Amino acid sequence: MDDSVEDNEQDHDIDDLEMQVVRYKPEGIDVLCRNTKFSRKELQIMYRGFKQECPTGIVNEDTFKEIYGQFFPHGDASDYAHYVFKTFDHDNNGSVSFEEFVMGLSVLSRGSLQDRLQWAFNLYDINGDGIITKDEMLDIVSAIYDMMGRYTEPMIDDSSAKEHVERIFKKMDMNRDGVISLEEFMDTCRRDENITKGMAIFDTVL
Amino acid sequence: MAAVAAWLPFARASAIGWVPIATNPLPQNRTIPEHKRGDEKMLINVSGRRFETWRTTLEKYPDTLLGSNEKDFFFDEETKEYFFDRDPDLFRHVLNYYRTGKLHYPKHECISSYDDELAFYGILPDIIGDCCYEDYRDRKRENQERLLDDKCSENGDKNPAGTPREKMWRAFENPHLNTAALVFYYVTGFFIAISVTANVIETVPCGKRRGEKENLPCGERYSVGFFCLDTACVMIFTAEYLLRLFAAPDRLKFMRSVMSVIDVVAILPYYIGLVITDNDDVSGAFVTLRVFRVFRIFKFSRHSEGLRILGYTLKSCASELGFLLFSLSMAIIIFATVMFYAEKNVADTKFTSIPASFWYTIVTMTTLGYGDIVPKTITGKIVGGVCSLSGVLVIALPVPVIVSNFSRIYHQNQRQDKRKAQKVARLARIRMAKNASGAAFLNSKKKIQEMMLAQENCLSMDDFKEDIFQLQHHHLLSCLEKTTDRTHGRYEREPEELNDIQIRLPRIKRSSGSSLNAVDSYKTNNTLTVTTAIVTLPTPSTTSETESESVRTQSTSGTMSPSSHSQNQGVVRISTL
Repeated sequence: MDDSVEDNEQDHDIDDLEMQVVRYKPEGIDVLCRNTKFSRKELQIMYRGFKQECPTGIVNEDTFKEIYGQFFPHGDASDYAHYVFKTFDHDNNGSVSFEEFVMGLSVLSRGSLQDRLQWAFNLYDINGDGIITKDEMLDIVSAIYDMMGRYTEPMIDDSSAKEHVERIFKKMDMNRDGVISLEEFMDTCRRDENITKGMAIFDTVL
Repeated sequence: MAAVAAWLPFARASAIGWVPIATNPLPQNRTIPEHKRGDEKMLINVSGRRFETWRTTLEKYPDTLLGSNEKDFFFDEETKEYFFDRDPDLFRHVLNYYRTGKLHYPKHECISSYDDELAFYGILPDIIGDCCYEDYRDRKRENQERLLDDKCSENGDKNPAGTPREKMWRAFENPHLNTAALVFYYVTGFFIAISVTANVIETVPCGKRRGEKENLPCGERYSVGFFCLDTACVMIFTAEYLLRLFAAPDRLKFMRSVMSVIDVVAILPYYIGLVITDNDDVSGAFVTLRVFRVFRIFKFSRHSEGLRILGYTLKSCASELGFLLFSLSMAIIIFATVMFYAEKNVADTKFTSIPASFWYTIVTMTTLGYGDIVPKTITGKIVGGVCSLSGVLVIALPVPVIVSNFSRIYHQNQRQDKRKAQKVARLARIRMAKNASGAAFLNSKKKIQEMMLAQENCLSMDDFKEDIFQLQHHHLLSCLEKTTDRTHGRYEREPEELNDIQIRLPRIKRSSGSSLNAVDSYKTNNTLTVTTAIVTLPTPSTTSETESESVRTQSTSGTMSPSSHSQNQGVVRISTL
């Protein structure tokens, strides 16, 4: 990864830190082409859109939340966006560069079922310890419900998320130990036809 | 929304996280046929300057000209580009709006030309970004105020005399309109001056009257004389006030206005004095009422523009003045209290109470320093020093704001007056320019007609260039002439408004030797299809009569009447067929 932080403004006052504009240059398009499953043209189009929204070359969480929120105008997408952001941000530095963005996208839209399920598991596993607890699942499910907004039919109340989580755990937690491990997750999902079909529908033509 | 369209694939991909926990099976996606998402570049040619951009950039805002299919009207098939005959400099900003989503307003551009461009491209000015929005609003407001001013003054000038009441009101408001108003204006001014001077001189000691011991003030010595003078002035002022009240279009509003209040206050004490009898207890009050006579001096503000501006400034700086007052009173109270307690125990001190110390504090803070009341203790002197220093600061702070306000309003007023004065000259110059272009137009028209005439007579006139557009234009105008039974003609400079087609003509001199006479219907009569005719109108006051006359003569003379010259009127008339 080419990390070049240039100081664009050199004010030697207290505001010095704020004045530093971080400029990020991604890897060459050939390298990216090799590492991901996208064609050159697709990468070009994606980078143009990426750079348009984030001229500095990296996305920080607030910008990401803003962009994500525009797709879900009815509700509050910031929680779910936060979890997605964390999953995209591989090196956990608080910002998503174009490489991370493209690699994540490559996994999600061109990857195998295994890869996608792994990604989903990483999304649910908030603290990254390899297991999904009820609390983590509750957080995710609440975040998804928040995206729906206030005015839903039927109404969403506090207990709907909890019930949903109970249902999921009943389905996925085989050994009834109160947590879902990676194997349990994979097994359940592979066996469920709805899920395997569902994983493929989000392919977007770029 | 469209600005983040590039992120949609990403949002869809991240939705995979919903799949494992979905309650119901998720719907399938409609298969998109294999379409080449070709993002093509669009060429936009604005008055010769070429701009290129992606199609998707323009499609971000589909309710504008460039984003919708309205731009197809401007598509040039041969060069495969969109051609706009508009300002290329301003187009830059419009295109940047599509690119970045923010519309900026360039400070050096004229506000109305910018507005025109935005209107052309279908962009609302409200989208201007925060960085430039304030500036834009300020300029726009200035412009509109100026337009409104101009329109108001135009309307004011244009209105011919209405009812006598309206005339009187206008005479009052604008004394320079006619001599009667000017005379009235000066007379009232003179009487105001007389009244004020009399009030002042009244109190000067005049010397001893025979048989008296003391020096009486003039007012008491010549009381009858002064009383007569006062009466005369008050009668003039009363008459003026009543006249204004009668002429005012909105009487209630007039009565509430500042000037009328001043008028009332100026004349009321006299009447009250007449009514009140020589009673001892009320005569004291009566004497105080005489003080109000000094307000007559404010009547001068009708005569002086500067005084009005000063008053207006003070009104508009009310908040600054209020702040000044408030901070001063705060400081006075603080320092007076401290001084009082510092000087309380000095023998024979003048600081007998806190209110008594107010006087000292005020005199010190305004750096007057009369010296009639001074501190004697050391603490008192220290506090006194601090008091005078802070006084300077507190007073110096709001004063520049008031000054700058006054300056701004004064200059605005000056500019307005200058503009009005220059407008007459400007309009005259514009008229001359229009005259010239109108004359050129008529010349070309004559040439066309000659050419057409020549074609009729199968003469070859290959000097004249055939301009399809001009031909058709002139054909149209001649149709109009035929329809209205009037014609266009030559004309000279005359102080009248001109539009392009409708040209009101003043008297013209009889033209000899011009090409016009060559096609006079004197020589050739029946074979003529088109002749030019000049209908001139003498002085505007007799317009109606001569017009009707000319119509009558034309209608009675039939279709093939010969020309008729009536030179005594200065009217050359050649009838059309």
